[in-house]
Amino acid sequence: MDNKIKKSSSCIAGAKKFNITPYLLILPMTLLFVAFTYYPFAKAIFLSFSVTKRSGDFAKWVGFSNWIRIFSKTEFWQIVWVTLKFALINLVFTLGIAMFFALLSATRVPGGKAYQMLFSLPMAIASAPTAAIWTFLFKQQGGILNWILGTSYAWTQETSTALMACAIVNIWMNIGASFIFLLVGFRNVPDELMESATIDGASPLRKVFSIQIPMASPQIFFVVFLSIITSFTAFAPIRLLTNGGPANSTTTLIYSVYKNAIINGRFETACVYSMALFLLIFIVTRIQFYFENRMVHYQ
Amino acid sequence: MIMNKNRTKKIAKRTISYVLKLALGIIFIMPLIFAVCYSIKPESLITVTPPNFFTKTPTLEHFKWVLVNLPFLNYIKNSFIVCIISIVCQVVFASLAAYAFAFFDFKGKGFFFTFAITAMMIPADIVIIINYATIQKWGLVNTYLGLAFPTLISGTSVFMMRQYYLTIPKSIKDAAVIDGCSDMRFLFKIAIPLSVPTIASLSLYLFVIIYNLFLWPLLVTNTETRRTVQIGMSMLVTSERIEYGPLLAGAVCCILPVVLVFLFGQDYIVKGMVAGAVKG
Repeated sequence: MDNKIKKSSSCIAGAKKFNITPYLLILPMTLLFVAFTYYPFAKAIFLSFSVTKRSGDFAKWVGFSNWIRIFSKTEFWQIVWVTLKFALINLVFTLGIAMFFALLSATRVPGGKAYQMLFSLPMAIASAPTAAIWTFLFKQQGGILNWILGTSYAWTQETSTALMACAIVNIWMNIGASFIFLLVGFRNVPDELMESATIDGASPLRKVFSIQIPMASPQIFFVVFLSIITSFTAFAPIRLLTNGGPANSTTTLIYSVYKNAIINGRFETACVYSMALFLLIFIVTRIQFYFENRMVHYQ
Repeated sequence: MIMNKNRTKKIAKRTISYVLKLALGIIFIMPLIFAVCYSIKPESLITVTPPNFFTKTPTLEHFKWVLVNLPFLNYIKNSFIVCIISIVCQVVFASLAAYAFAFFDFKGKGFFFTFAITAMMIPADIVIIINYATIQKWGLVNTYLGLAFPTLISGTSVFMMRQYYLTIPKSIKDAAVIDGCSDMRFLFKIAIPLSVPTIASLSLYLFVIIYNLFLWPLLVTNTETRRTVQIGMSMLVTSERIEYGPLLAGAVCCILPVVLVFLFGQDYIVKGMVAGAVKG
């Protein structure tokens, strides 16, 4: 009896005793997040209100004047427009093609892994080699794409096609990941549901639109926003194929960040562009949460 | 008889649809097939249209050119070193933090967990130039450490390890502690060994991501000795006069390791991806 009381009281004392172990365990994570995520984020906000030296150090506080200077230029709005246009092209084609592939692969068949592998393979391939391969396919003289389409575009050098060229590269790389998420969604549809629809005489197309797509709406939603956000931060295709040109027709926000910070040495301008990009991403994720909570059909 | 006929019809239909899907898959990865086929063609045949996959005189001259004229093997070595540093650190740091989140009650636990999850809301690209300034100030430009630093932790890995640790019943730990097992001993002798499949999944997923990084290594390297393969390879694209043979050979060399990892570890990578996506 005595022993029991003693034990329980020591337990209470133990619970109250400050235990440093968990804090030590999370220390490396915390330090790294502070140093490479939170601190630079705060600093980017701060520098967007300052004038900086070429090294990126703070020189002078200037309030909103950077923001006003940049926002009042048509160039900025053109960049935002290009960013949105790029995201929209990416969204439409990535979602469309990935959904088509995922619907084709939805029923499990023996050996189906083979084509699933092919559909998802490009997602493992980095943007630099992808851009390199497509540079070859985009060639004007004797280029394969022009030969297939019977056209003679200088794909990456014409204002009318440059953004499309960058988008093609980006879409090709992103279909794989979207395909995998959508496949998870379509495979979650219960077999009985599909079977009873077949017995009721629903056409295959009807089944797609009335059962599969609504049932997979969480994954479809996720893919929509994933696709928008990955295209907001797509850098390598633009850097390698067009360098933002011709006539800024492929200059997106992320490319402007790079151009201002590294090529022009204007850190504060780069920070304003970073923040504009952050706001854009933030708004899109807010919209995503909003719709996810009200519209998406969860089982 | 009719049954039989129907069955044959069904099998035929299935076979045709399978072949069509496979063909579609092959068309989809056609750019890769072109890259491989054209990288072994002599330069004189590369620009000839109509496109032709086969060549009577296959040659490895472009691969030789890439390996001799560029420190390509060095690029690949650099990429692997950076990947190894980042993956080892992420796995260790994420396991430590996840262990605290899953097995300890401490003041500020909720705050620190939100802190880790919120970090995922700030895309790396937003803070990349400030991080570059930091690395510059620390004198780590052109070093492996500088290349690896921003990828030493990620919200995804913390979240993924925590999710796994939550599936280990707390009673196992209580029992171990009563038997005199210390907290750290439990982590290294029981929790980490149990989580090997999760760690494998996380590592392969991280490998694909970190090996493929472009903007960060572009910023923090400016000498041949420390360039990663992505940056070394891209020099072939941005050079004044593009030589397509070496360009394609370089691209093929660059994607080979990651394609191999993907072919053999696809299931693991997919698991990592789906876990990474849960955060929303």
